[in-house]
Amino acid sequence: MKVLFYGRLADMIGRQIEIEMTQPCSIAALRERIAAAHPAAAEAIGSERVRACVGDAIVADSHVVSLDETVEFLPPVSGG
Amino acid sequence: MAVAARISPEPFSPADELDALLAVAEGDGAVVSFVGTARPRSKEGEPIERLVLEPHPRLTAASVERIAADAAARFGLAHVRVVHRCGEIAPGQPIVFAGAAAAHRRAAFEAADYLMDRLKTEAVFWKREEGPAGSHWIEPTQADYAERRRWE
Repeated sequence: MKVLFYGRLADMIGRQIEIEMTQPCSIAALRERIAAAHPAAAEAIGSERVRACVGDAIVADSHVVSLDETVEFLPPVSGG
Repeated sequence: MAVAARISPEPFSPADELDALLAVAEGDGAVVSFVGTARPRSKEGEPIERLVLEPHPRLTAASVERIAADAAARFGLAHVRVVHRCGEIAPGQPIVFAGAAAAHRRAAFEAADYLMDRLKTEAVFWKREEGPAGSHWIEPTQADYAERRRWE
């Protein structure tokens, strides 16, 4: 499963990683997997202010992602 | 209700954008615009060498277009024009132009205010300040979020 990061998350983890999954999983579970693989980013990836996005739509932590989908994690945005 | 909203990877001229808005808004009556520029010093007083706005490949343009369209609908605007930089911005350079044209000035003033409160808190960019002391990521302040809530 491809996972993309932006902003400060990309600084901590990288722009893109592959997470090995054998079955569909929830966003919540994915956050835990990423935190386990990248402990320095654990607090950031677990923050409710970091939103998950699949197919250009923000999804809840309960959303289940299939193996061929890409998940993006978006830190708090700031425009203007 | 004409909405013009774009992301600009290169510097833009606020004067040219205002001219473009005035040209299409010829018959409207009231035109208000705001320009946000990159500050040369951070909140802590440190010099800023550049502001960097990182966009998302699709969500950034969509968010700016949606905010502009929402402003046009909410305030009954005849025209709205938003230009938002992405990439590296030098101190003093324009970051954003937000303009609104309406039949009367109250709607135009409020729309410009609304546009900026929404852009500050909802436009999809990740912003960082870079200077001699290093770089750090910027998020909206509590005041920014409070200003946004005024419109709910």
